[in-house]
Amino acid sequence: MSAVKPRIHEAPDDLLAAIDWCYEQGWTDGLPVVPPAVERVKAMLAAETRPAETVIAHHPATGLDLSLHAAAANAVMAGCLPEYFPVIVAAFEAMDRTEFNFHGSTASTGGSAPLIIVSGPLADEIGMNSDVNLFGPGNRANGTIGRAVRLILRNVFQMLPGISDKSTQGNPGKYSFCIAERARGNPWPLLCEAQGYAKGTSSVTVFAGGGFANVENHGGNKPEEILISVADTMANYGCITLGQSVVILAPEHMKIVADAGWSREKVQDFLFATARRSVEGMKGAGKYRDREYDAQHGEGASALAVAGFMHRGLRPDDILVTMGGGDAGGHSCFIPSWSRGRSSIMQHNAIAATPAGAKQ
Amino acid sequence: MQLYSPMSTTPKRKAFRAPPLAGLDGLRIGILENGKLNADEMLREVAQLFVERHGCTVRTVVSKKNASAPAPAPTLVQLAQEVDFLITGLGD
Repeated sequence: MSAVKPRIHEAPDDLLAAIDWCYEQGWTDGLPVVPPAVERVKAMLAAETRPAETVIAHHPATGLDLSLHAAAANAVMAGCLPEYFPVIVAAFEAMDRTEFNFHGSTASTGGSAPLIIVSGPLADEIGMNSDVNLFGPGNRANGTIGRAVRLILRNVFQMLPGISDKSTQGNPGKYSFCIAERARGNPWPLLCEAQGYAKGTSSVTVFAGGGFANVENHGGNKPEEILISVADTMANYGCITLGQSVVILAPEHMKIVADAGWSREKVQDFLFATARRSVEGMKGAGKYRDREYDAQHGEGASALAVAGFMHRGLRPDDILVTMGGGDAGGHSCFIPSWSRGRSSIMQHNAIAATPAGAKQ
Repeated sequence: MQLYSPMSTTPKRKAFRAPPLAGLDGLRIGILENGKLNADEMLREVAQLFVERHGCTVRTVVSKKNASAPAPAPTLVQLAQEVDFLITGLGD
């Protein structure tokens, strides 16, 4: 279907009245938005080299397309600066892949929110926070990039709470769920490097995150002691599924792990092997299914999958692990996948460079 | 103040309902279950009512690997050729 030209509305000239007018149109996530004034939207679009009508994502259930233009309007409303825009574009291009299943993950009772992880030099260049309070509040880039994603889901794809978004309880991350990977002091290759992008290229990783679980451990001094706390959180009966995981290790915890020489791969192996529940236990919780056990232990199964147990995920690389947060505090976090299992698989994408002159 | 709409510019897609069946007696049933807990059992129970009341036969039972994604097009094409009507729904 050919798209029509973006519509221009006449709103009150008074800024506060225009904000109220945006509420009346049903364009907000419940918080006030920056009115998407024509000139601001054009400035946002200057951060992209492609024509404004370029479609970057398609909603399979409604047939609705996301153009750069509509993305820019929502980015303005969220409070983004133009230099943030390539992150939003790259995120939606990644979410548009079939494997991410962004309709399902945003419509479901499971209530996931797209977690956006930015890795590489761009994070610092646009002022993202990977340090104290990286999940918020307080940083404009983190806060507004994540918010723009939500506004696009609402306004462009019409994922409306209670109508097409049937999340049972919602999720605070559905306002904004965006972080940067901490590069400073990170002993491991950054995600963008591990993902195979060229040096200097930043990446965005998108993950349908089902919430946020703090993992506290101030007493452990060995990798096993720290990571068993993480694994136990991953494998609690409310969380354990075949789904993927995101683990953000606090710098204190990362130091313990890295000082002992543990690589990312070794941590992934340990977490996969340890985050498990017995079949009998799973049956006792009413969560055991033969087909899931077979998927984990059948042909091509990880050598770390132990007979008689259900592990979280299918294999160690289902667990994304990196570092984030402030220097002080033994507080890491685990973010489970949406609802049950593998209906959404995390994706990553290179972030295009912002054209010269586009920054404010 | 002039504001751009933040909505999609894609024209609304037209949706059409399938024509109603003239009758149910003796028809072939397909079941498309979404793979969630109890979906298979629930849909088979529903199909059994049509078998008992209208002499229908259950021809095809298909499971989706991903409950929240549309069934693959080849699956739907196959079902359309093999059955007269399809029972589907969410189990959980």
